[in-house]
Amino acid sequence: MTKLKDKKPSKIAELKAMSPKDRKRAIGDLLMNNAMFIIIAIAVIGIWIAEPTFLSIPSIVNIINLTAAKLPIALGVGGCIILAGTDISAGRVVGLSACIAAGLQLTTNKLFPGLGVMPVPVAILAVLVTGACVGFVNGFFMAKFKLHPFIVTLSTQLIVYGIILIYMQLGTNSGQTLSGMSEAYRNFVTGKLFTVGNTAVPRYVLYSAIIAVVVWVIWNKTTFGKNMYAVGSNEDAANVSGVNVVKTIIMVFMLAGMLYGLTGFMDAARIASVNANTGLNYESDAIAACVIGGISFVGGIGKVSGAIIGVLLLQLIFVGLNYLSVDQNLLYIVKGVIILVACSIDMRKYLVRK
Amino acid sequence: MEENKTPDSQQPQRPFRGLYRNVKISVKTLDRIIIGGIVLLVVLILYGVANNGYTVTFDSRGGTDVPSQELMYGDLVAEPEPPTREGYVFAGWYSDENYRYPWDMETYQVSQSMTLYAAWEEAP
Amino acid sequence: MDKNQEPVLLRMEGIVKEFPGVKALDGVNLTVRAGTVHALMGENGAGKSTLMKCLFGVYKKDAGKIYLNGEEVNFKNSKEALENGVAMVHQELNQALKRNVMDNMWLGRFPMVAKGLPFTSEKKMYDATMAVFNELGINVNPKTIMSTMPVSQRQMVEIAKAVSYNSKVIVFDEPTSSLTENEVEHLFKIINMLRDRGCGIIYISHKMEEILRISDDITIMRDGQWIATKPAKSLTMDEIIRLMVGRELTNRYPPKDNVVGDELLRVEGLTGMYSHLRDVSFTARKGEVLGIAGLDASGRTEVLESIFGVATRKEGKIYINGKQVLNRSATESIKNGFALLTEERRANGIFGILNIRENTVISSLKSYLQGLLLSDKKMADATEWSIDAMHIKTPSQYTQIRSLSGGNQQKVILGRWLKTNPTVLLLDEPTRGIDVGAKYEIYQLILDLAKEGKTVIMVSSEMPELLGVCDRILVMSGGRLAGEVDAKNTSQEEIMTLAAKYA
Repeated sequence: MTKLKDKKPSKIAELKAMSPKDRKRAIGDLLMNNAMFIIIAIAVIGIWIAEPTFLSIPSIVNIINLTAAKLPIALGVGGCIILAGTDISAGRVVGLSACIAAGLQLTTNKLFPGLGVMPVPVAILAVLVTGACVGFVNGFFMAKFKLHPFIVTLSTQLIVYGIILIYMQLGTNSGQTLSGMSEAYRNFVTGKLFTVGNTAVPRYVLYSAIIAVVVWVIWNKTTFGKNMYAVGSNEDAANVSGVNVVKTIIMVFMLAGMLYGLTGFMDAARIASVNANTGLNYESDAIAACVIGGISFVGGIGKVSGAIIGVLLLQLIFVGLNYLSVDQNLLYIVKGVIILVACSIDMRKYLVRK
Repeated sequence: MEENKTPDSQQPQRPFRGLYRNVKISVKTLDRIIIGGIVLLVVLILYGVANNGYTVTFDSRGGTDVPSQELMYGDLVAEPEPPTREGYVFAGWYSDENYRYPWDMETYQVSQSMTLYAAWEEAP
Repeated sequence: MDKNQEPVLLRMEGIVKEFPGVKALDGVNLTVRAGTVHALMGENGAGKSTLMKCLFGVYKKDAGKIYLNGEEVNFKNSKEALENGVAMVHQELNQALKRNVMDNMWLGRFPMVAKGLPFTSEKKMYDATMAVFNELGINVNPKTIMSTMPVSQRQMVEIAKAVSYNSKVIVFDEPTSSLTENEVEHLFKIINMLRDRGCGIIYISHKMEEILRISDDITIMRDGQWIATKPAKSLTMDEIIRLMVGRELTNRYPPKDNVVGDELLRVEGLTGMYSHLRDVSFTARKGEVLGIAGLDASGRTEVLESIFGVATRKEGKIYINGKQVLNRSATESIKNGFALLTEERRANGIFGILNIRENTVISSLKSYLQGLLLSDKKMADATEWSIDAMHIKTPSQYTQIRSLSGGNQQKVILGRWLKTNPTVLLLDEPTRGIDVGAKYEIYQLILDLAKEGKTVIMVSSEMPELLGVCDRILVMSGGRLAGEVDAKNTSQEEIMTLAAKYA
């Protein structure tokens, strides 16, 4: 009874202690619950055999870069899912932030004629504030009016898209793609961090890693993080236990918004050209990554490491299929099926056994 | 009394919140759905691999037709016979309709299906 | 009077059900004869619910046979069971609350205007409902919306539904847990009527008095095993408890040795904004266990919720040590030294999928901060203290709380509140759904807290429990304070009279 706190039950020891029948079932459970990982692993190996360059150094670095670029948005959506909600405005917020970051960094600025290139920290601050504002609106309506997250974020998604379109009409731009951003900005994001072989790893990989660490600390080591898990697990109990539920929900969505903002900030420099459709469908990738990574729609369950693994696996399979020259249109269907299967697996884990 | 050995009667009646709050499904059915989904995934991927290749179509913008090309990931687009158009001079291929991004046939690799647009200059 | 000659309706033989690592049922037998009430007893976790779930096909049994009228049956789901005349009146009612009574009665088998036509017949539905209601003496308009009716009436509808299926075997799972005395009487009348019509009734309850009053036979289970089946006449309450617990339980309540001190809490004119609570004033002393009795919906729970600030007050002042406190929200109340253990443990007590540690620290997170971050070690120590002090039986701190038994869950929540260092503990039905042995431990904990000089205010619907544990008892009735009695010099009758005062 006294040594309780160090004893996390080990899977292997549990398996050994079971009767053959239980063991068979436990192994079955293990296979089913990790079916998504297994299938992706098989796919990756298959692609590798068909196209050995897929796992060459430049390709691996490319996959890591893509993972880093998509990680912040996945972490933001992950927080919303832990609250037993979701956020489908994520992609559009990324788009708006990318437009804003680009708008402040254009060398010849058609949006705001006369405005020179702003310092990079101003752009960062601008995307953080933008994301936080949208997040506040999301969180406020969800917490105060108990609206379903889908409805709230669907509405804000539309509003944000409208804002993007109007923004792109500012000055003399008339909705054209924004490109030609300042060297300082592009270098700040995509500049060389170090080289592996002959392939340069861009700086945003480091930023993404820092963001992941910060989010991990917030989720696991702060009062706010614990409150987030508690609200996601049982909102009523959290309220009675003295957790400020409204504040927690709003803060989770604001944090998520800021993470989308940073994703947009990095994306504008990464892609180097921004238009009204930047960020489109990013939320579906992020949600898929979270569910694959074990952040559950049950609420109250999920880890930062899960989000990272989810994003990485998703990039692996999509870059791989791209290597095999699989039709882009088919990939949408594949992505949708992956989300449904991942949800079914997730559901299975938390189902009461008959 | 071994209290914690009895998960059965203590299972909450409504243990789930979040988006699955009304799920009532047996593990067996769910297993079938999962396996079915995975089979569907595999079929989709195999279908995609069997029909792989990207199509690069050429929009000659009023010029003579240029046949499209079937290419694989990483291939270079083969320089087609330049189209002709009455009163204009062909000025290269672009990857967008606004002629902002010229397509360099020597170095750019194909990574998706796309359309290239012909640019024209008025004949002197 | 000898009913042993009655034909056997339902026989369950050697039922075995295994969960990973646990044998939940181990060769359980149950034989229900026509025209009898058969009580199924056992502590929580003894396997009563599992047995019933095996009968209704919610769980698949691993071994054993079920015979209905001598024929072996194997229901795949409760609908199939219902169609074969086996019905269950659930503890937690599954009803479409926004629909009316007859919609609920005929859900899934709406009578049609004519065969083959896709239209339902309201008239046929109404007449059929009225026929059943008249037969059972239920006085409810079939067109009433379910959510506007009290729980007792909704339960009557559930019973009527079972009868309308022509059920031969009806299972009642804790039917009286949310009923008032009068409603219980009516329920018993209906049960007796069903028995006289030759139905076999399986009655699951924790309340000994009821069981001894209504049942013909009693089957007792313990730890998933069949212990005994005996005629109710041959058993006494103590014997039943002995069989259920497997040992002598001489004292159901620990010795009361707390010392009552000076006044600590004073509540004046408590009136609810959205509840019917009107002008409740009382005081509570240091080291005192103050009980609150009353029927359901008498405002017992609302008193606690209003003090704690989770239900909005219209008027009313709260003083602690003569100093007024506002308690506008749970957060504020916790700061002022209050703690509230809620009645609905599953709905707003536990965080089911979170582990014991997270469930323990959630109300006192600020005290584990080291700088800006939470210290894992401090949280682990606090949880370990709680596990030791409360005697929580758990394999580790990382166990999900939903896999613990009700009693242990309750102890975890108590531990959570003790970490906030409360001076006033508000406990709403602290022993609901907890087995006899664990109840004793909870009583002991309550008295220990009082001995430490804390004030405990405890709401309970079980009067013996209030008489056994409390110093004084407030009786609520119709949202008002009907009176105050000294626990040592009162009787259940006196409390019942007070409870009916404004009802």
